[in-house]
Amino acid sequence: MAKRIIVIDDEKIVCDMAKKILQAEGYEVETYTDSELALEAIRSQRFDLVITDLKMENVSGMDILKEVNRLYPETRVIMLTAYATLDATIEAIRERIYDFFPKPVKIDELKKSVKKALGD
Amino acid sequence: MTIRKRILIAAVIQAIVICLICDFGYISFKLVLTKLHAIEIIDDLNISLLEMRKAEKNYFLYKDPSSLNELVTIGQERYEVLQSSRMHLVSGLHGLSDKDYSRLLQNFKNYLELIQAAIKTHEVPATLEGEIRRLGHVLTEESATLLRRERKTVSYIVSYNIIMLIVSLAVIFIIQVVLWQYFFRFLIQELNIMEQRIKMVSNGRLHEVAVQTVAPHNEIQIAVKAISDMAGELEKREQELLQSGKLASLGVLISGVAHELGNPLNNISLIAQTYLSLYDLLGDDDKKNYMGDVYNQSERIKKIVENLLDFSRQKKQELHDCQMGDIVQHSIGLVANQLKISKVKHHVAIADNLPPVSVDAPQIQQVLINLYINAIQAMPQGGDLFIDVALDQEHEQVIVTVRDTGTGIKKDILPYIFDPFFTTKSTKGTGLGLSVSYGIIRQHQGEILVESAEGRGTTFIIKIPAKSQDKGD
Repeated sequence: MAKRIIVIDDEKIVCDMAKKILQAEGYEVETYTDSELALEAIRSQRFDLVITDLKMENVSGMDILKEVNRLYPETRVIMLTAYATLDATIEAIRERIYDFFPKPVKIDELKKSVKKALGD
Repeated sequence: MTIRKRILIAAVIQAIVICLICDFGYISFKLVLTKLHAIEIIDDLNISLLEMRKAEKNYFLYKDPSSLNELVTIGQERYEVLQSSRMHLVSGLHGLSDKDYSRLLQNFKNYLELIQAAIKTHEVPATLEGEIRRLGHVLTEESATLLRRERKTVSYIVSYNIIMLIVSLAVIFIIQVVLWQYFFRFLIQELNIMEQRIKMVSNGRLHEVAVQTVAPHNEIQIAVKAISDMAGELEKREQELLQSGKLASLGVLISGVAHELGNPLNNISLIAQTYLSLYDLLGDDDKKNYMGDVYNQSERIKKIVENLLDFSRQKKQELHDCQMGDIVQHSIGLVANQLKISKVKHHVAIADNLPPVSVDAPQIQQVLINLYINAIQAMPQGGDLFIDVALDQEHEQVIVTVRDTGTGIKKDILPYIFDPFFTTKSTKGTGLGLSVSYGIIRQHQGEILVESAEGRGTTFIIKIPAKSQDKGD
C-alpha cells in the first residue's frame, strides 16, 4: 500500500507541484492550502509523513508539528520556510523536526529526505 | 521706496513748511519793528510840532520873544532828527514817498525860516503871521495824518500776522494728519500681507508662500521676502523629512516585501524543477498550465516591485480625486504579509457612497503604512487592527480610524508623539514616522489625532476634507 503524505502550504502552486512530484514517486498525496482544515484532517486520520510550511495564517507550521507529535509521535514532519529565524529553528528542533527546507525548495533534496523519512 | 526714505521725505516736507512759516513771521516782525521805529520819530515830530505851535500862539498872543527862541530851539533839534532819519522814514512808512519826505522837510525848513525872519523883525507883519500860521497848520496836519495812517497799517499787519499764524498751524496740522494717514494705511497694508503669509506658513501652505516672491522695495517687504524664503527652506526640509520618513518606513516594509517576493520565486523554482524532472510524464495541457503559472508568478513579482518603487519614489505632491477606501485597501495590500507574519488580523470597514477626497494618494498611503507598522510593533504577541473609513456627520470630512489592540501609549508621552525625532523604539526608530505623517496630513488641510489607553490600544484618527460633489469643485 502506498505511503500517505499530507502537504500543507498556503501557496497553491507549492501544493500542486509537491503533489505531482511525490505522486510520480508512487506516494499518495493530500494537499491543503488552509492550515485549519489540514489540522482537522490530521486529527481525523493518520499520515505517514507531514510536509508543512512554517508561516501560515491561523494555524502555523509549529502548531501542526506540535499536534502531530502529540497524536502520532512516530510520524515525521518536514518543514518548509521562506525565512527561518534562529528562535523558530531551535523551537522546531526541540519539537523533534525531521528536516528543514528553506525556500526555494530543491526538489531532488526534498525527494531524498522524504524517502529517508519513510524508510524507503 | 523704503520706509526710512518715506519718513525722511515727510520730515523734509514738514521742515520746509515750518521754515517758510518762520521766515514769513520773521519778515513780518521786522517790518513791524521798522514801522514802530518810524512811528516813534513821527510821534516825536508830532509832539514837537504841537509844542512849537503852542510857542507860536504864545508869541502872537503875548508878544513874548523868548517863545520864538524856544520854538526855534525845539524846531532845529527836530529838523536835524528828521533830516538824519530819512532812511528809516522812507523805508518804514508806507504812505511816505521820497517826494513826500522832501516836501515835509522843505515845509519844516520854510516854517523855521519864517520864524527866524519873524524874530529879526520887531513888529511881525500880518502877512508873515498869516503865512507862519498856515504853514504850522499844514505841518501839524501832515504829521498827524501820517501817524494815524501808520498806526492803522501796524495794527493791520499785526492782525494779519495773527491770522497767518492760525492758518500756518492749521496747514501743519493738516500735513501731519495726511502724512500719518498715508503712513498708517501703507504700513497696515504691508503688515496685512505679512500677516497673511505667516498664517499660510502656520497652516502648512508652504509652497504657495514660497512661490509668491516679489522684489522687495521697503523694510516690511524685505521681511515678507524673508518669510517666503523661510517657507521655501521649510518646504525643502519638509520634503527631505518626508523622504527620510519614507525611507524609514521602507526599511520596515522591506523585510515584509522580501518574504512576499520569496513565495512567487519559490513557486517559479518549483514549477521549473517539476517541469524538468517530469517532462516526459507531463501532457501538453500540463506544460501549458505550468508556463501560465510561471507567467502569473512573475507578474506577481512585478507588482510587488512596482508597489515598492512607487512608494519609495520622491515626487512632488500631486493632488487627485481619489476614493479613500481604495487608498486604504491598497495600503493594506502592501503590509498584508507583514500583518500575517505578526499574527495581526486586520478588519477593514469602508462606508458606502463616500465622497472623493483630493489627495496625493502615495503620501496618504505612506501615512497609513506608518500607522500600521506602529500598530504591528505595539502588538508583539499579535492582535487586531481595525480600519474604518467613514464620513463625518457634517458630510465635510472623510475620517479614517486606525485602531489597534496593542500596548497603548503612556499618557505623559502622548503630547510628544508627533514631534520630529521623538521615538520610544531607541535605535530601531527614527522618530520621523509620525512627524512626517502629521506634516502630510496638515498639507492636505486635514487633521490627525490620537487617543490611547495604556494596555488597551491606540486609535489614530485622520480627517481629510471631502470634495463636495454638489458644488462641483
